[in-house]
Amino acid sequence: MKAMIIDDEPPARRELRRLLTGFPWVEVVGEAGNIDQAAEMVETLTPELLFLDIQMPGGSGFDLLTRLEDVPQVIFTTAYDEHAVRAFKVDALDYLLKPIEPARLAEALSRVRSAHAARVPPPNAVLEQIFVRDGSRCWFVPLREVRLLTSEGNYVRLSWGKANPLLGRALAALEQRLDPNRFFRANRRQIINLDFIESVELGVNGRLHAQLRDSPEVEISRRQARLFKTKMSI
Amino acid sequence: MNDAERPITQQKSQLVYWIFQLTGWGMITLTRFVAGVTVLDLAWPRLLLELLLVNTLGLALSHWLRDFVRRNGWRALPIRKLSWRILVASFVCGAPIGIVTQLTYLSALHDPELFLREYAPALQFQFALPFAFALEIVNWAFIFIVWLTIYFTAVALREHRSAQFKQSELTRALQLAELRLLKSQLNPHFLFNALNTVRSLIADNPARAQNAVTRLANTLRYSLTSRQDELVTLSQELDIVADYLELESMRFEDRLRIELHIPDDAAGVRIPVMLLQTLVENGIKHGIAELPSGGLLRISAVLQNEILILEVENPRPPARTRMSAHEGIGLHNARDRLRLLFPERASLELDLTKPAVATARLRIPVQK
Repeated sequence: MKAMIIDDEPPARRELRRLLTGFPWVEVVGEAGNIDQAAEMVETLTPELLFLDIQMPGGSGFDLLTRLEDVPQVIFTTAYDEHAVRAFKVDALDYLLKPIEPARLAEALSRVRSAHAARVPPPNAVLEQIFVRDGSRCWFVPLREVRLLTSEGNYVRLSWGKANPLLGRALAALEQRLDPNRFFRANRRQIINLDFIESVELGVNGRLHAQLRDSPEVEISRRQARLFKTKMSI
Repeated sequence: MNDAERPITQQKSQLVYWIFQLTGWGMITLTRFVAGVTVLDLAWPRLLLELLLVNTLGLALSHWLRDFVRRNGWRALPIRKLSWRILVASFVCGAPIGIVTQLTYLSALHDPELFLREYAPALQFQFALPFAFALEIVNWAFIFIVWLTIYFTAVALREHRSAQFKQSELTRALQLAELRLLKSQLNPHFLFNALNTVRSLIADNPARAQNAVTRLANTLRYSLTSRQDELVTLSQELDIVADYLELESMRFEDRLRIELHIPDDAAGVRIPVMLLQTLVENGIKHGIAELPSGGLLRISAVLQNEILILEVENPRPPARTRMSAHEGIGLHNARDRLRLLFPERASLELDLTKPAVATARLRIPVQK
């Protein structure tokens, strides 16, 4: 498994590298000392796991994640910002307190490994999870759990669980990286997750009304309705 | 107020009370005696005897009244409730002593017949005797009203003063507490990062790791044992700053460069403990640590007209324009501490006039 260490303190990077020698299945493919460097390296090296410090020059670890298109698995490493990590409503991640306890590292890595093993590799270029920051809260959002994506100007509102975070990307750009088997463009402003459809009703003028679980009704425009029928073979 | 002071204050107030009592009653006795002898031409030995008797009774009654008032907690009463109680008590005390006075020779001091003829000619003479008693009672009641009024005023004044004293004690205690809070504690972030560095060095460079542990111990000891209002010499403070910077250099490696300019005459000036340390920490936290390539941290001192000017200069990240927010809690606390330790005469400013550089400038008067 390809991993990257992102921390601004060289001794901290060396220490983590040394600790990771005990886990031969983790291959450290790169190290970065700030988030600009890190963003570049993540794009080219495509690591599957990040060890990410929170306080860094030029921007925090969270800033890095919001910049990344596709977010790999993340283990936060922090000296003291434990509360910062816990404050975010993130359950899809782990954090390690520095100095890192080898046993805790082993635990975190075994969780990463089992999550990795359970994962069905998605078709090329399809986004699996994104990192969203809305105000002071952050989420790792697995896209398959998103019911509805609604365009709001240059932003996209995600209907996900009980939260509706706002993502700083345009809907058109995001659409290209969504799994076409799962997501369907309902109208100019909305993309729906087919897994969440409860019922579909005929409307006037050849439009369709889709009822999504835990969401308001979504209208499927006339043009898209034809596509929808073909796709769902109705 | 502590326990050792309490009896002395009480003794003192007891003495003041008796001085007032004796003076007051002595004055009444004296004026009546002079008036009796000169105006009414009374025989002075008997008059003196009777006056002493009656006024001692008055003194005893007023003393008992004070006791009574204290036992019944009249001090705590609101003015309105107190007023009518004073009135009733004054008449209750005034009655017996008024009657006694009327029965003695002193009655001559208030001649009811004369009074009646003068002011109320219509009144029947057989009412003269009861009227004389009533007059004497009212007269005495009035004296007790005055006495009680003076007493309660004195009590109120004393309580006000002690409340003020307590208030100033409280203010001082608050200031100390405030100082305790403001005195910069070592940043826990630094502490855990330093420990992580040490862990790393144990494998990389054991000798450096040993050095780091010693420096960390020094820094911790200094931070934990110094008192909040303590002053230390600049060179003492610089020793600990050097330890701290050595540890930070191990963390940041070549991202942190340090320059020191301390003239000999400035090294002995006394400054609040941990204050320079706070500025240096601030410079690292908001300057070096925020910049991917780090930079130069410069500490310099100048002694000018009995004022020590200390400067900590660090590069500042370009994106930071809202400097007041950036200034952070460290500088804010340092400024509050200065204000408490040297009201008006010391200052701390963050100078952002130079491009890409932040300078924290501290001015402290030389302490004799």
